[in-house]
Amino acid sequence: MLEVADLHASAVGKPILNGIDLTVRTGEVHAIMGPNGSGKSTLANALAGRTDVEVTNGDMRLEGASLIGLEPEARAHLGLFLAFQYPVEIPGVSNMEFLKAAVDSRDTALEREAMSAASFVKSAREAAERLQLAPEFLRRGVNAGFSGGEKKRNEILQMLLLEPKLAVLDETDSGLDIDALRTVAKGINAFASETNAVLLITHYQRLLDHIEPDFVHVLLDGRIVETGDKSLARKLEADGYARLA
Amino acid sequence: MTAAEQFQARLFDDARASPRYASWLDRGPSLAALADAPLPEPRSYTWEYSNPNPWYEQNARRTDNRPNAGKVVASGGIRVADFDAADSRERCIIEANLNATVDRRRYSLAAVNDVLLCGGVVIEVPERARDAEIELGHLTGGFERVLLIVGAGAEATLVETPASPTHRVVECLVGTGASLRHLRLQGAADSFEYQLVSTRVEAGASYRFGQYAQGSGMRRNDVHIESAGDGADIGIRGAWHLSGQQHLDTQVNVHHGIGGGTSRQTVRGVVNDRAKAVFNGRIHIAPGAQNTDAALSAKHMLLARTAQAYAKPELEIYANDVRCAHGATMGEIDGDALFYLRSRGIGEPAARHLLIAGFLEEAMADHGREEARALLSPGSLQPGKLPRPLTRKEGSAFRLPADAYFHEKLS
Repeated sequence: MLEVADLHASAVGKPILNGIDLTVRTGEVHAIMGPNGSGKSTLANALAGRTDVEVTNGDMRLEGASLIGLEPEARAHLGLFLAFQYPVEIPGVSNMEFLKAAVDSRDTALEREAMSAASFVKSAREAAERLQLAPEFLRRGVNAGFSGGEKKRNEILQMLLLEPKLAVLDETDSGLDIDALRTVAKGINAFASETNAVLLITHYQRLLDHIEPDFVHVLLDGRIVETGDKSLARKLEADGYARLA
Repeated sequence: MTAAEQFQARLFDDARASPRYASWLDRGPSLAALADAPLPEPRSYTWEYSNPNPWYEQNARRTDNRPNAGKVVASGGIRVADFDAADSRERCIIEANLNATVDRRRYSLAAVNDVLLCGGVVIEVPERARDAEIELGHLTGGFERVLLIVGAGAEATLVETPASPTHRVVECLVGTGASLRHLRLQGAADSFEYQLVSTRVEAGASYRFGQYAQGSGMRRNDVHIESAGDGADIGIRGAWHLSGQQHLDTQVNVHHGIGGGTSRQTVRGVVNDRAKAVFNGRIHIAPGAQNTDAALSAKHMLLARTAQAYAKPELEIYANDVRCAHGATMGEIDGDALFYLRSRGIGEPAARHLLIAGFLEEAMADHGREEARALLSPGSLQPGKLPRPLTRKEGSAFRLPADAYFHEKLS
């Protein structure tokens, strides 16, 4: 599904990623853990095509297609989804309008038949319900005035509607209380299947109590320094990252 | 001699002949005001960023013999009369109320409007009327006056879609406890225009004004609103979307003469290419106007390096127990928001359109929202394109003789 090879990237001129190698196969859930400043978010942004992250070397391929040089929307059309660490507030654009525009863009790009307004509204409502978001959230401005937990749930809502092949979740667990964490984890588990893949980026092990990863990677100074199964996350939680430095 | 002085000299020359339109109307006070107060010069006060000279040049010739091609559509027991055809009662009403709210020394181009008047209409909404609706489209395309009197306790809606060029002065008197919703949509044009809305809001009355505009060669919109009684409630929304070389200058003055009133100004402007937006929002709280609650928010979004916006809130407060808030910002499209939308698969042009529409949405009134959206949506920004006509309920409109631009109910 995803192949990252010797990826080097800079943010605002500063080298952050120093040769990442990562392979995620269809049906797998990977977790990337690491201390602050290790390059976790830069990796997520490099994948999604944020313009202030410059890839200086290496390659990223999604189902064989290189992402290098592709516009963010083109990567989304290939099936990539990034759940933002800090979802952006856009007052004035309703959540529903935004979601419909996103789904329509995808369908146009993939030459699929456009979803009827009625069936779109129905599936948006169902997804909202699954995430315990009141229907009024669909009418409100995108993330405008949402609490931290509501914003994160709204990210998962978008993921459920867009049905990406690869979902990259950047610290989706941060700022969530225990109940919200459970709801979000349920959403992610409902999404993960044999036909897609999930890359979880997180500081803490607690999300991994709810979502079982197939692999855990430790990112340090822009490189993956250790890879293991879910027991690695527990070890990190107990020992901290200092041991690896 | 400056262009303003030449224009003024010609105006006085012309005024010696009897006016052809509504000759009974006394232009003396307007001429006296013009003799006292000079016409705006380039860079004079409130004209720092807009050059009035092309306006003088464009209007150098008298135009008071235009055909009355336009129309007024009214429903709900409203009386409409052309100034030229006004009967003695209507003349009394006009004489008693015209310019009651207009300081012609301050708004000297409104005095010019009186002198060069080529179309005027007085509209009376009876007391306690319900669902009164007035549509004012194109009238004469020249110097026009609208005097709207909303009786106590009445509820009325005025929708204006003036074609360009139009130099229209609209005076609204909103009676005690009445409510007036006033929507004005201005399409793009190449001409030079001056327009004034001057409204007095009496005690317990509510006035909701929404002005949605594209630009023109030079379009100046002056808005003067007086809160004249306890509990007067004023809401002003304005949004504009300018492109090419368009120029739009909006000057709002909210005057709280009596305490206990509320006013809100919310404006949002998007400026592209080499266009220029000017906004001045003034809140004036008179001595003794205690317990006034006034606020102003003005935000502009610049889409090009060459686009310009000048926004200034002005607070003049002479009472000590008031609430008054203001804010003005200049920005561009938020890069984070753009990336967010694009990461969801929305292409860059569509993402920009969404962000622009969302920004303008904050200044959309509930009333007329669809029309305003249609006018300002990025796809509608071709010169001369006006929004589709407002759709009306079957049977609520009535229209009349082709030679009249106002209508009375046939039945």
